[in-house]
Amino acid sequence: MYWRAVKGRRPPGLPRGPEGNFRWMFRKTLATMCGVVVLGGAAACGTGQRESEASAVAEAFSTAIASGDAAAACAVLSPETAEALAASEGKPCEESLKPEELPSGAVSDVQVWGDRAQARTAGDVLFLVELDEGWKVVAAGCVPQGERPYLCEVGG
Amino acid sequence: MKRFLRGSFLRDNGLSAGFGAMFLAALVGQAFAGQADFNHRQLVEGGSPVTLLQYVTSSDFAVNVAENWQSEYLQFFLYVFATVWLVQRGSPESKPMDQIGTESDKKQKTGRYATEDSPEWVKAGGWRTAVFSRSLGIVMAVIFLLSWTAQSISGLSVYNAELIADLQDPVSWLGYVGSAEFWNRTLQNWQSELLAVGSLAVMSVYLRQRGSPESKPVGTSHAKTEESG
Repeated sequence: MYWRAVKGRRPPGLPRGPEGNFRWMFRKTLATMCGVVVLGGAAACGTGQRESEASAVAEAFSTAIASGDAAAACAVLSPETAEALAASEGKPCEESLKPEELPSGAVSDVQVWGDRAQARTAGDVLFLVELDEGWKVVAAGCVPQGERPYLCEVGG
Repeated sequence: MKRFLRGSFLRDNGLSAGFGAMFLAALVGQAFAGQADFNHRQLVEGGSPVTLLQYVTSSDFAVNVAENWQSEYLQFFLYVFATVWLVQRGSPESKPMDQIGTESDKKQKTGRYATEDSPEWVKAGGWRTAVFSRSLGIVMAVIFLLSWTAQSISGLSVYNAELIADLQDPVSWLGYVGSAEFWNRTLQNWQSELLAVGSLAVMSVYLRQRGSPESKPVGTSHAKTEESG
């Protein structure tokens, strides 16, 4: 006797009696199914703007490298990457980063998945993470190693 | 208690209300536990922690929900469908050995055996009766397929985020549904559901639960099939 539970909330236009009840139940089932699809679809929503934000940060890093501006490049590195770079060289990030050793170029492709992004420039592959303060570069100067992770000059 | 519940809405809908409430409680618990687990992983991998609202709208939460939903609906779809053709001697989950198949119109009250109070689509005949005759299995199968699809979409997002965090290339949807990650998530759920159903069918031959429709009456012989108490 399910229809008793939904009595009073039946949308106008549905006939009274068993057939109307069946149609109403059918609509509710359909609504449940849509919920399931939304569950999966939620993952794919709203990536357009975030792609352009990640792309802009990758572009800023690449431009800084091309112009030899280590300070500007360090400003868009993730704190962990910048700290690791400074620790490995024993000098501040600005002095540890060597722009002349890193490839640069315009960003040609960006893929955003969750809070991570991969950007490709003419000569480089960059990996980014989205933090509270926005997108930051985690690794740069990356070379593919087949099935294994990229080997990166910075953040590898 | 019995007197209090007699004739009430809650008593008439005890199964759906009880399981609905437990489902929501478990889902809320999963949201909190999942957020804590996710934020711990974020800390380790150099990401930012998320709020509860951000977590319940994330792919991580969606894949964990959807992968369990798909296996449960597959389980019930297979159970509804398989019990038409497969029987288990002595089990209250099975029908008698001589009734294998979709059975006669007379037994199913379809065609000219439809009664005054039969559902409208049974009295209508034709395609409506054909669809209604399979509606339980169809709806279970459709929800299974939608949940499985949702798992593949949200799982792809989670998997690719992990790949990028590990400095690897993301994969396509087709690459993901052919990956070990997808099938590991899928099959570990399927095997447990199939084991639970199969073992219930066998255990209910020899074991009893007094008052449960999933069990035979306590004093019924082990050999008796299709009787619940």
